[in-house]
Amino acid sequence: MTTSFDWRLPRGTVIRGKWKRSSYRVERLLGEGANGKVYLVERQRAWYAMKIGADAVDLQSEINVLQAIANAKLVSRSEPYLVEVDDYSGTDGKEYPFYVMRYIRGATLSDFLSKRGMEWFPVAGYSLLVKLSELHAGRWTFGDLKAENVLVSDYGRVELVDYGGVTAFGKSVRQFTEIYDRGYWNAGSRSADAGYDLFSFGVLCIQVYDARRLAALAGSLLPQNRSPEELLKLAQSIPALRPLGDWLAKALRGTFSNVEEAAREWQQWQRRTSGRSSSVVPRWMKGLFVASAALLATTIYWLLRTGA
Amino acid sequence: MKQILLITDGCSNVGVSPVVAAAQAHAEGIAVNVVGVLDQGDLGEFGSAEIEEIARAGGGLSRLAHTRQLSQTVQMLTRKTVVQTIQHAVHRELKQVLGASSIEELPPEKRGEVVRVMDELSETSKLRVALLIDASASMKPKLAAVEEAIRDLALSLQARQGRSEIAVFHFPGSAHGDECLLDLDWTTDVRGVHQFLPRLQMRGTTPTGPAILRVVDHFRAPAPRSYRNPDETDGQMSDYVV
Repeated sequence: MTTSFDWRLPRGTVIRGKWKRSSYRVERLLGEGANGKVYLVERQRAWYAMKIGADAVDLQSEINVLQAIANAKLVSRSEPYLVEVDDYSGTDGKEYPFYVMRYIRGATLSDFLSKRGMEWFPVAGYSLLVKLSELHAGRWTFGDLKAENVLVSDYGRVELVDYGGVTAFGKSVRQFTEIYDRGYWNAGSRSADAGYDLFSFGVLCIQVYDARRLAALAGSLLPQNRSPEELLKLAQSIPALRPLGDWLAKALRGTFSNVEEAAREWQQWQRRTSGRSSSVVPRWMKGLFVASAALLATTIYWLLRTGA
Repeated sequence: MKQILLITDGCSNVGVSPVVAAAQAHAEGIAVNVVGVLDQGDLGEFGSAEIEEIARAGGGLSRLAHTRQLSQTVQMLTRKTVVQTIQHAVHRELKQVLGASSIEELPPEKRGEVVRVMDELSETSKLRVALLIDASASMKPKLAAVEEAIRDLALSLQARQGRSEIAVFHFPGSAHGDECLLDLDWTTDVRGVHQFLPRLQMRGTTPTGPAILRVVDHFRAPAPRSYRNPDETDGQMSDYVV
């Protein structure tokens, strides 16, 4: 559902708000959501992220969600997430609504993992589940959960970006991306609930390990044949995901009762995998150990014999 | 709220002008959206101009879409038109209550409350969408994508809190001179419907205008089945077997 406008703001453009008269200097484009473009901007030597859209209603509706979340104090943050809301009179004579938010430094989940290694995935995944549980506590579904909307900073700390899809429980999900969508995979409705995000999370797990085959699977199946079972089959064929099979089955089939339960079982998987990797000793190492023990015994025996 | 969503790939060539028909629909409170569906190439200058004009006369929106993006385009148009219909109603209120003629004129702090009400109305108001599918010969290879888009739209509408119903029509109708046939009457759930559109009996003519008027009639009809010729329908049903 792209409703974006075509122009780009060149670096150095000064955006002055129509109502509050604050000025921001554009540094570069950070990303693009369905409701607008997000730029890195600077004001009084501080960095912010600015989302600028073409449609006042669409953008305001997103701002409402951000304000509701802020008011409910669901997310423990020292600085406010939403900084300012205003309009910009573009050079084309039209007015463009924008809002300014805190700038979050970080890489998208896929970029982070390809740079730092897949061993970071369990930690990042866990903190993503915690983030979702904060939202769900206020009865909000994130909606458009996907690798591009998850920013990871150092040590696997996670922030969700693009709140355009955030929907109150029980309403129809406002924005989604097909491949992560529960409805697209014939796995349930497009009504907002905890299970909707968990389904997308499940797809995300497959996406980070094998994006290519996930896309190929979605492209090759007839619409009526898309199912969570097909996703699970794909997950089973990825060795790293096999131990997570039970967890994924619950996420994709929608049998977790809430995110907390999902997070607990995620922890159990983390514990199992970290425990397992230290207890499993390769065969050659066992052989080497036996050999060196035998050598030690022989040496001691020989030493004792010669010493005596 | 009432909408007609026309999915077509070419120019009308029989009967009343589709622009006139769309204007009639609009006058009766039905918004007409149009998707021009492409496979390869484009609709040609004529086709694009026509779909744009139909939508303008019908108070709706038009888009060209590739078969791959058909589902997304159909949903986007439906949603946007719902919001637009509500926006029109809200604008009237705005003038009376706040003296502003549009939402953009309000300062950001005041916009919040108005948009909250609009969002609530978009989610909860009753909605009826009649899909009118051009099933002339050139559309044949695109019908699978059209059906998928219909299913996908139904799924999204089902998630709304307000009651949402869809109906499906195709044109041209049979060889007996019908301009348009009802394939699926008002329903909230399309699961279990094996196939919406017949795959046979495609004729060359494209009576877009008469077909729109027929759908407008259907919106008026208290008993939805009255426009269905039972013999015709049975004949169509036998074609559904795959």
